Amino acid sequence: MHSQLEILLEIQDLKTQRRELDKTPGERQVEEEVFNITIDDALDQLEEKIDEMENSLEPTVRSRYKRLAGSRLRAIVPVIGGTCYGCFVSVPTALASDADRNEELRFCDNCGRFLYLID
Amino acid sequence: MELREFFTENVVKLDVEGETKDEILKELISLLGLDEKSESILYKMLKRRENLGSTGIGKGIAIPHCRSLVVNRLRVAFGRKKDGVDFRAIDEQPVHNIFLIVAPPLEVSNQYLPVLGKIAQFSKEPDVTARLAEIDNSGEFMALLEEKGI
Repeated sequence: MHSQLEILLEIQDLKTQRRELDKTPGERQVEEEVFNITIDDALDQLEEKIDEMENSLEPTVRSRYKRLAGSRLRAIVPVIGGTCYGCFVSVPTALASDADRNEELRFCDNCGRFLYLID
Repeated sequence: MELREFFTENVVKLDVEGETKDEILKELISLLGLDEKSESILYKMLKRRENLGSTGIGKGIAIPHCRSLVVNRLRVAFGRKKDGVDFRAIDEQPVHNIFLIVAPPLEVSNQYLPVLGKIAQFSKEPDVTARLAEIDNSGEFMALLEEKGI
């Protein structure tokens, strides 16, 4: 897997975790009541880690990522069954079936998001 | 849907070999059949979640969980460590039963929270801890889930 893609995936997962804790009442309630999490502390920790990881991206990747993240909820999305799960438009067959997928950084031709190809 | 429907016998390991929380997390992740890089990313995410607060909910049960892009559907696994392992659980007691739950960020059927809740509910059943200690094979684990009908 491309090293920058690995970082991007981790950032997106952390942002998902932060969003779920912050904005999803059910998740917030479960984390507080079942797992005794202090939500505000957890959000601060996640924010700090996200900043750290964003700063570790290479400048060109970071620039593109920041541009995407500024306008879209998800800057990195999976491709499942040949479909970009950001805009739900089919990606070229050659890309979806590439044996070395995820070894390069790839973008959706339609929405521009970073792509992660998954079975 | 009932909890039983999310498990298959190949994601149940009743003799977990890991001696530490980290080793056991890796062992359970390996049951999901992901590629090496995906396993590594998932492990990091689960560790980060644990850093926010232990998922050891007491009575010898832990439910490590997270959402991650490396899976394309909800995945679960179960591991039992008869001797127990330090999970920094809220009751500070060793953990014997570990339920792993991982889901993608976008789920059409939105099963993640309900499954998390069902596992927590299952864990609170008065006889579950003792029953889990007694089972001899993954089939009996599946039968226990079915019997509880949660």
